[in-house]
Amino acid sequence: MSSKMVEFTVNGKKLLAFEGLNLLKYLLDNGYNIPHYCYHDSLGADGNCRMCMVEIKGKKRPQIACDTLIKEGLEVNTNTPTIKRLREEILQMQLRNHPVDCPVCDKAGECYLQNYYMDYGLYKEGKHKKQKIKKSKNIEFGRNVVYDEERCILCKRCVRFFANITKTNELGVIKRANHSTISTAPNQKLQSQYAMNIVDLCPVGALLSSDFKFKQRVWFLQSSPSICHGCTKNCNITIDYSSTKFQAERIYRYKARRNEDVNGYFICDEGRLSYKEYHTNRVTQIEYKNSIIDFKEAISKIGIEIFIHKDIVILASPNLYIEELESIIKWSKKLNARLYSPLECYKDKEFADNWLKEELRVANAYGVMALEIDTSTPDISSDTLLINFDHKLAQDINTLHRIDFITHSINSQGLILPLASWVQSSRHLINSSGIKQYAPKTLVANKPILTVTEWIEAIGGDI
Amino acid sequence: MSKKVKKVTRYGNSTKERLYLPAILEGLKITTSHLLQNLSDINSVETLEYPEEQPTDITSRYRGLHRLTHRADGTIRCVACFMCATACPAECIDIVATTRDDGVDDKMPLQFNIDTLECIFCGYCVEACPCDAIRMDTGIFSIIGKKREDFILTKDRLLSHKGVFGEEISRA
Repeated sequence: MSSKMVEFTVNGKKLLAFEGLNLLKYLLDNGYNIPHYCYHDSLGADGNCRMCMVEIKGKKRPQIACDTLIKEGLEVNTNTPTIKRLREEILQMQLRNHPVDCPVCDKAGECYLQNYYMDYGLYKEGKHKKQKIKKSKNIEFGRNVVYDEERCILCKRCVRFFANITKTNELGVIKRANHSTISTAPNQKLQSQYAMNIVDLCPVGALLSSDFKFKQRVWFLQSSPSICHGCTKNCNITIDYSSTKFQAERIYRYKARRNEDVNGYFICDEGRLSYKEYHTNRVTQIEYKNSIIDFKEAISKIGIEIFIHKDIVILASPNLYIEELESIIKWSKKLNARLYSPLECYKDKEFADNWLKEELRVANAYGVMALEIDTSTPDISSDTLLINFDHKLAQDINTLHRIDFITHSINSQGLILPLASWVQSSRHLINSSGIKQYAPKTLVANKPILTVTEWIEAIGGDI
Repeated sequence: MSKKVKKVTRYGNSTKERLYLPAILEGLKITTSHLLQNLSDINSVETLEYPEEQPTDITSRYRGLHRLTHRADGTIRCVACFMCATACPAECIDIVATTRDDGVDDKMPLQFNIDTLECIFCGYCVEACPCDAIRMDTGIFSIIGKKREDFILTKDRLLSHKGVFGEEISRA
């Protein structure tokens, strides 16, 4: 791609773009609805699905837009009768052996085949009443990926993901013509720690995640942009959740969200499956010495504890947001307390790799460093009061005088106060490259749980 | 695709119609005639002495309690596609899907509850079903219970209901 701007025409409208830019990329980025399967921003063009046909003046036959580069004076038509007929015929080819089992397919609702059939197909049913080729279903690829041969349209996005992105070449197309399918090497399963990205990449229901399979239909899901809290990379994700009449809000899956500056298009499998943490082992009630107490009692107990102890240590989790950490800093100054946020216990050398996984398995460690909070391990004597804001280290500290603000239950005999999970509050995070990102509030618990700032406000500290 | 346009005459603009009274009197005339007829012969009033007498006018189109149909081999027809739950305007259908254990298909409902206290018996679920798995041809027009839970039709209960109009097995 050169830096020279050229003028070209799309559907009679004059446009400006850089010379040599991929035509399909330009059209998609600028809101033109061009059907496509094999082209993906991260994988580039492959040209096997033939769906993105456009007419170009001077060319004898319609051309695929993903293999056309923009040049001076190009005249493109995306909506001529020929193009419409072509799209319909290509769809017919793709649906020739497709089982059309949308009612039991988990992709239904976000399936490209479905969408394009509604937009460009809509031909009479009789056309695919012919005998279809039966292939196998539910083939376990390993790493939570399930493959359905019948639904596959062989766009090779998954094959190219392993070939170009992870460079592990774990999938390939085997057999010929109508019998072609995607397969791993004989007796091999997928190994990649990023394998579940191919489920996101698959435009149809051929590759499904066994973790999400049959859990919920996608049209019941609501999506919210967010940030993964698995490590300091802070990959951008979409949280898919739903709340029905019969069930409280529940997260069903995380999907990768495009952000060129941070994670590109992908996330690791561990981060993708970390949605389960939200629902397991949550603290919802205020407890003191294993018995439930009410809010007023808790506030007065905190007041007494703070009053009688001279030496107070506050542990703040590096998973907390910038604003929450700031209010803890203010509060600790008011209490004359020592504030720590040790990072050592979050280090996991085995987890790290040189792509999206980082050693520090906590979201806002660089925010903690930016705010200059002491990251060393505190020394706690027998008459020190420990105020813990969801820090992992607090589990291993044995002290009688403690107040725990926690999201997930730990073994503690002191005062336990429930804290809103990161999904339930909206603030800023700083990642390892110093990028400050915003994560909006996604879920609201049926019984509202206070966030750090709300707790400090309730106790009477400044925020 | 051109739409067929049908022109409809707009009524209500003539003086007679704008006076309202003639129409009201016409209605009163019918009411009074019925009243006089019923007063003169009390036996002509149609009365069903329920529950001793049972209704006789339940046809195959009557929307009774729901049932889940079976396949020819006796397995459950439903594949838990959630079309009924999606179409339901009262949102009274609660389905939990699972992988099928009888090897006939991919998916089946683990739980299929219809809350009849919320159900409005519109029949949309029957129309939405792509595989004739849910039907309302049981002819059951009343449901009784002592607790709210008694009114929730579970999967087992829905499967135990029989179709009374001769179509026992799903046609899909």
